[in-house]
Amino acid sequence: MQARFGTLAAVACIVACGGGDEDGRQVITFPASAVGAEAELLQEQLERFMLERPDVRIVRRETPDAADQRHQLYVQWLNARASDPDILQLDVIWTPEFAAAGWILPLDAFAPPVSEYFPATVAANRWDGALYALPWFVDVGMLYWRTDLFERPPASLEELSRAAARSRSDGTRYGMVWQGARYEGLVTVFLEHLGAFGGQIMDADGRVVVDSNAAVRALRFMADEIYETGNVPRAALTWQEEQTRFVFQNGQAAFMRNWPYAYPLLRDSAASRVAGRFAVAPMPAAPEGEPTATLGGSQLAINANTENPEAAYAVIEYLTRPEQMLERARVVGQYPTRPALYGRPELARGLSVPPDRARRIIERAVPRPVTPVYTQLSQLLQIRLHRALTGQQEPRAALEAAAAEMRALLEKVGLAPGESAGARR
Amino acid sequence: MRDADRTVGAESREARLAWAFVLPALATIFLIALFPLAWTVWESLHVHDLRMPWRGQPFVWLANYAEAMTDGRFWGAMLHTAIFTVGTVTLELVLGLILALALNRAYRGRGLVRAAVLVPWAIPTVVAALLWRFMFDAQAGIANAVLIDIGLMERPFVWLIHAWAAWAPVILADVWKMTPFVALLLLAGLQNIDDSLYEAARIDGAGPWRQFIHVTLPLLKPAILVALIFRTLDAFRVFDLIYVLTGGGPGTSTEPIALYTFNALLQNLRFGYGSALSVIVFVVTFGLAMFYIRVLDVDLTEAGE
Repeated sequence: MQARFGTLAAVACIVACGGGDEDGRQVITFPASAVGAEAELLQEQLERFMLERPDVRIVRRETPDAADQRHQLYVQWLNARASDPDILQLDVIWTPEFAAAGWILPLDAFAPPVSEYFPATVAANRWDGALYALPWFVDVGMLYWRTDLFERPPASLEELSRAAARSRSDGTRYGMVWQGARYEGLVTVFLEHLGAFGGQIMDADGRVVVDSNAAVRALRFMADEIYETGNVPRAALTWQEEQTRFVFQNGQAAFMRNWPYAYPLLRDSAASRVAGRFAVAPMPAAPEGEPTATLGGSQLAINANTENPEAAYAVIEYLTRPEQMLERARVVGQYPTRPALYGRPELARGLSVPPDRARRIIERAVPRPVTPVYTQLSQLLQIRLHRALTGQQEPRAALEAAAAEMRALLEKVGLAPGESAGARR
Repeated sequence: MRDADRTVGAESREARLAWAFVLPALATIFLIALFPLAWTVWESLHVHDLRMPWRGQPFVWLANYAEAMTDGRFWGAMLHTAIFTVGTVTLELVLGLILALALNRAYRGRGLVRAAVLVPWAIPTVVAALLWRFMFDAQAGIANAVLIDIGLMERPFVWLIHAWAAWAPVILADVWKMTPFVALLLLAGLQNIDDSLYEAARIDGAGPWRQFIHVTLPLLKPAILVALIFRTLDAFRVFDLIYVLTGGGPGTSTEPIALYTFNALLQNLRFGYGSALSVIVFVVTFGLAMFYIRVLDVDLTEAGE
């Protein structure tokens, strides 16, 4: 009888006390991947946190790794005003969407040390003047080049094109490979070419400027590399990251644009024919632009319906500490979001790309347009870019159409620049 | 008089009992068919963007339908669906009929051949789509290798980046997979035709061609129409094959309406607009089914015999 009463009391407490467990600890749920070295590392780090904060218990919520599936799951939970999970692991392009929807808490009240992070990673997590997520680790686009074919990386896009052509006449099958299939990856590649020609997708005021002359030159350059110089194979228009890596790994390409994940795989001499014969550099630029790298990576945010915001922030604060980031770099090779760590000798042992080089590339990183409707804008752009690159539409006409569609979308959802309505509360 | 009363009473009792028996079935149909349909229609009259909760869920009458009518991507998707449907259904009917005629002949090992023909149909669509994707890969695909070997092409052709060429693997894959199904339906029809009719035709001096035109085709009409109705409605809702094979690309030049609806509903989470597209697909397929049943006078029960 007494036992039953105890159970009843516990149940009552779970119902009434919300986010607490039977021992009175605050329960924080954390969505995480289910398998692999990353899941193990996270488990260890969370356990150490619980030693430091015995009043908090963290429960992991296993979620899919595929970005689209994870996003869909989050949207379902958050629409239902679920308080669980308390912490959200966000892709860099989701923060403004979730912030504008009121699904995640502004973090400024917790006074996070934003000046210690790469500015671009912080900028990507701001919406309407407030910070909504803390950058956890960073991903950037970079140029892989063959050290056995060239003495140094190309200093300009023109040099890249010439070097690629030369390597082809010397017998390398492809000059340059990048991700040209119609998906988010195509936008990241375009963004790097766009920056290289001095263009932007959206300007600082949120105006769509993807139909500028610079953008047309950037897209034309990409198309010419396929159809004029032949440096980029036509098949690249169906490739995502892995297909480009296979080609480069088999020694069939002189240059490749890709993310850092490829580096350790290419260095593995058992599988890679280019092990010890490649290096990375920033994507070069045309004279009128700047070398540009697309910013990716993971952020941590707090569910707006959480019952324990303070404890949730404590978890985020712990996971983004320098020591935890260094460990993350060492164990799973993810790049810290704090530039100061790139001077630490431990980092060189953890990261495959030499830290000073990685830091220089990350400093060039630009976020994709920071807007709640990024995914929809990106889709409109992907379709037009792919049409232009597959010869169905002229680059200028394609970009003008994309810009018109993007402006119409922003107008419709009340996010057009100059409007004070809706999400700009 | 009293007899009559009793009969009426018994009839109404029986009717009540009958209603009681069919009620669970009716309730199930209501719950799984009519209710979701009604909800989708209701949803389609609202703005409901999960990703933009600040827009609320206002009732907007037919605004979502009006948007579809002026949406170039919607009309493109309808056109692609029509191309796919006409292309695949025509080929499948012609090839399926040839296959059925061949399978209908008596020879040893016929059962084995009939089973073997069905193999493509038994392969899951996603697997089949991946197979065809590999076969039409520019570098490693067998399609290019064969075309180069027999001298039809000089260098590898990238099928999936051409707005028209990308249809080749899509249509071939569907024809390869679904022709056996059509053949099986037609074979059942062929076996219902009485041999004495052919005998009579032969006695009247009709050759094989005239027998085919005047005996086989008219008597096969119900089976052909059933195959046509199944395949048209299926083709109109094509999704997985194209999702895996081309993703709707290049650009959106092979995107069918089901893929665009999926994109609006589950990728952009625009429930209002996506529901409007679903309702349009429903109305068109319903109309097609009505057209077959009324205009072409298909009697589904007759063909099923």
